[in-house]
Amino acid sequence: MPETQDALWYKNAVFYQVHVRAFYDSNGDGVGDFQGLAQKLDYLRDLGINAIWLMPFFPSPLRDDGYDIADYRSVHPLYGTLQDFKNFLAAAHERQLRVVMEMVLNHTSDQHAWFQESRSSRDNPRRNWYVWSETDTPYRSARIIFIDTEMSNWAWDPISKEHYWHRFFSHQPDLNYDNPAVREEMWDVMKFWLDMGVDGFRLDAVPYLIEREGTSCENLPETHIVIKELRAKLDREYPGRMLLAEANQWPADLRPYFGTGDEFHMAFHFPLMPRMFMGLKLEDRKPITEILTQTPEIPASCQWGLFLRNHDELTLEMVTDMERDYMYDSYARDKTMRLNLGIRRRLAPLLEHDRRRIELMNGMLMSLPGTPIIYYGDEIGMGDNVNLGDRNGVRTPMQWNGGWNGGFSNADPESLYSPLIQNPVYGYQAVNVLSQKRSEHSLLSWMQHMISLRRSTPLFGSGSIEFLYPKNHRVLAYVRQQGDQAILVVNNLSSSAQAVELDLRRYKGKILIEMFGGNLFPRIGDLPYLLTMGPYQFYWFKLRRI
Amino acid sequence: MADESILSDDFIRQLIDVGEVDILVGVPTHNDAKTVEPAIRAIQEGIVKTFPRERAVILNADGGSNDGTPDVIMGASIDEQHRSFNGYTLRTLHAISTRYGNNPSSAAALRTILAAAELLRAKACTVICPESANIEAEGVANLLRPIYCDHFDFVAPIYRRHKFEGVLLTNLLYPMTRALFGQRVREPYASEFAFSGRLGSQFLNRHQWSEEFKDYDPELELTVTALSDGCRVCQTFLGTRSPTKRQARDLVDAMRQTVGVLFSALDGTFPMWSAKTASQPVPTKGPEFELSVDPLRINRKQLKEMFSAGVIELESVLKSILSSGTLSELQQLAKADEDQFRFHAELWVKSVYEFAASYHKAVMSRDHIVQALVPLYRGRMFTFLVENRTASAAEVGNNIESLCLEFERLKPYLLELWNGRK
Repeated sequence: MPETQDALWYKNAVFYQVHVRAFYDSNGDGVGDFQGLAQKLDYLRDLGINAIWLMPFFPSPLRDDGYDIADYRSVHPLYGTLQDFKNFLAAAHERQLRVVMEMVLNHTSDQHAWFQESRSSRDNPRRNWYVWSETDTPYRSARIIFIDTEMSNWAWDPISKEHYWHRFFSHQPDLNYDNPAVREEMWDVMKFWLDMGVDGFRLDAVPYLIEREGTSCENLPETHIVIKELRAKLDREYPGRMLLAEANQWPADLRPYFGTGDEFHMAFHFPLMPRMFMGLKLEDRKPITEILTQTPEIPASCQWGLFLRNHDELTLEMVTDMERDYMYDSYARDKTMRLNLGIRRRLAPLLEHDRRRIELMNGMLMSLPGTPIIYYGDEIGMGDNVNLGDRNGVRTPMQWNGGWNGGFSNADPESLYSPLIQNPVYGYQAVNVLSQKRSEHSLLSWMQHMISLRRSTPLFGSGSIEFLYPKNHRVLAYVRQQGDQAILVVNNLSSSAQAVELDLRRYKGKILIEMFGGNLFPRIGDLPYLLTMGPYQFYWFKLRRI
Repeated sequence: MADESILSDDFIRQLIDVGEVDILVGVPTHNDAKTVEPAIRAIQEGIVKTFPRERAVILNADGGSNDGTPDVIMGASIDEQHRSFNGYTLRTLHAISTRYGNNPSSAAALRTILAAAELLRAKACTVICPESANIEAEGVANLLRPIYCDHFDFVAPIYRRHKFEGVLLTNLLYPMTRALFGQRVREPYASEFAFSGRLGSQFLNRHQWSEEFKDYDPELELTVTALSDGCRVCQTFLGTRSPTKRQARDLVDAMRQTVGVLFSALDGTFPMWSAKTASQPVPTKGPEFELSVDPLRINRKQLKEMFSAGVIELESVLKSILSSGTLSELQQLAKADEDQFRFHAELWVKSVYEFAASYHKAVMSRDHIVQALVPLYRGRMFTFLVENRTASAAEVGNNIESLCLEFERLKPYLLELWNGRK
């Protein structure tokens, strides 16, 4: 366990999302593993992050990249053993790195023993662990999420000759959370890992735990009861551990997942992410300020999880049709880049390999209210491969150096779980950790500096935000404040130089200290504070009264 | 820029805040607070519905209103702090305002709009009349769409008019611009139109903006510039035209602002218009024209009397302008009884062309030439009213078309006059 016993550690953390399979292969079988991940912990410590979010590593048929779990109490043999995981966890904790693991509560793989028992006969004791129906008519109001692959939320089981409910792929039957035995079992599963020392869970697909006729089967009050139960047990038995919600919902619908501080500690702010990309493309702060002003207050102990990219498509579920069309036209003109209601691309290609835009987006990620989460490889500007199916194009091996397999594995290239990115712009020869470590001006070095600055400024994690509305709408400006400390953040979303006048009269008399270089800027007076900014430039200023 | 800056520092600051735009909607105003709101709503809706992604600004060029007109327009901004509007744009929709002077001036207002459009690198611009109670969102969109989407340079409006509304337009401005420039633009002098950034810049830098010309409406010249510079021109139907302050002007002033500007524009565009031998229709969205035929009381008798008196009183002036044959015919006409009075198309066209040539040659003060045309126009108007008193809309349309063809047929006559062969 990391030394700091701060129960709110997640509020000032910088997370790093990683898939064991994709990070480092220690045994030369072409697949990343826990021993490999453990070997790379120094890299993560040096990067400056202090929490790792592991994607699913359980035994699984891997038809949904591990989100189809076949055994909740073990490690997929490709990634190592349970002991390997324990060793990794200990090594991470030695380096003051927290470990948050994925936990898929909503559904299992159809290969899970529970489902095999449940489907074996209608009177099996585990029959009621899943949601069965003689017809496929119940819950018609529930939307289909994977619209590109699924026609219905019901699938026919030829063995027990009934339909089973699934909100995601048909090979992922939903567990029945109306059954107390299921709830008890899943808590036991979580305890299994908590006892080992994991620092928290990212709970997948939370809104869909409960079904009720005549509803959307999302965000139901009964779902919150389940979560409150889990949270109460966690606080009682494992204080200091945290729960992070994956609930792709509008801010007002997300708010209940924090409860009164008695449900999730953290939840992803899904609607913000596409609007950051939208604001950048539009060169207008409007989408960002609108969604953040619509975001309700959350309990002081809670936190938003902010991200630019992750293992999924850039989801466009929480935007309007018009906004979605704009995003597609702007970021995914090639239809192969689109998947479900989203865009399956990584950060650097989305931003056209433009270092200034990558820095600006990371600058906003680190300075807006919430805990930043960095997706593996984005710190070096890795590319994607839209020719790989599903979301696999953003899950390619980490690029460590320009040598054999990009330093990811000693295996034959043909036996890698996924081909490496090899194109001249984003290929491992051009984009890799080793070469970027050698340059003080690489994206990796910049990210290290940025993360260090973010972590040394707790105000970013827990301070309030007040938007300034300069008349120049291409400039997004806000003041983060906590107690008598204040930081002014000014972002130029435009591709051209901008002049902006800021109304800082309430801070009159304070001087501005630019946080990256420590340089002084003129004292704030009565007049509007004039700043000129280069394309995509941003400033972080400490407002100091000296 | 054609001149030293006409834009105030405050306005420059507003332009800096707006930055580059795709769409600019100019609204020239002077004490229009009571009427401007419907037009502003139409503009907002037009942008929201048709250009929700584009960078857009509503620009008010105000001529010294003291009724709070600019405040009404500034309230039209749709940004992150103004979300009450029913509909939304992806971007901030700006509304900015500047006072170009303390007296209304069509030229100063358009100059301000053009200068702002150039500085903001606007791709498509439109000017909307603040008195346009009838303009709809679709109309605003239809003005802008051909410029922004289809790469036209100029969009002229078409209005539904009463058959006796705009007689100067139907009997002189339209037929003459059509005959000379070869394109059938029915409303060459309009208070609502759209233009490309390219045409706007061209006009801004070419037009005479000096003090001497500040009282002249530049709109017709903008149309002529579009027609004579090979710009892609089209028309769009905007529905019934609302009454405007411009309509209330006296006839002499109206002639100066229209016929005078047209005659003046012929000088610099001679190489182009002299080479045109026929006219072509321009692409039009909606009906090419719509006339209503509701009964309307007009004092025709006074028109005839003013014609006759004018021909007699201005004889010496007309002698310098007109050929002896034309003058003689007019003098005969002046003596005719009301029942026999008919200012036929050929005589009217010849008269106009002779006035244009005399204006070109500046046989006397150009302003006097334009003023001398006024009584003749009254005579022609009398005939037009009589001939079309009971005519249906279609018949009136046919009569206007015949007049246009007469202008085209007699164009060689103008060329001969122009070149001094007559």
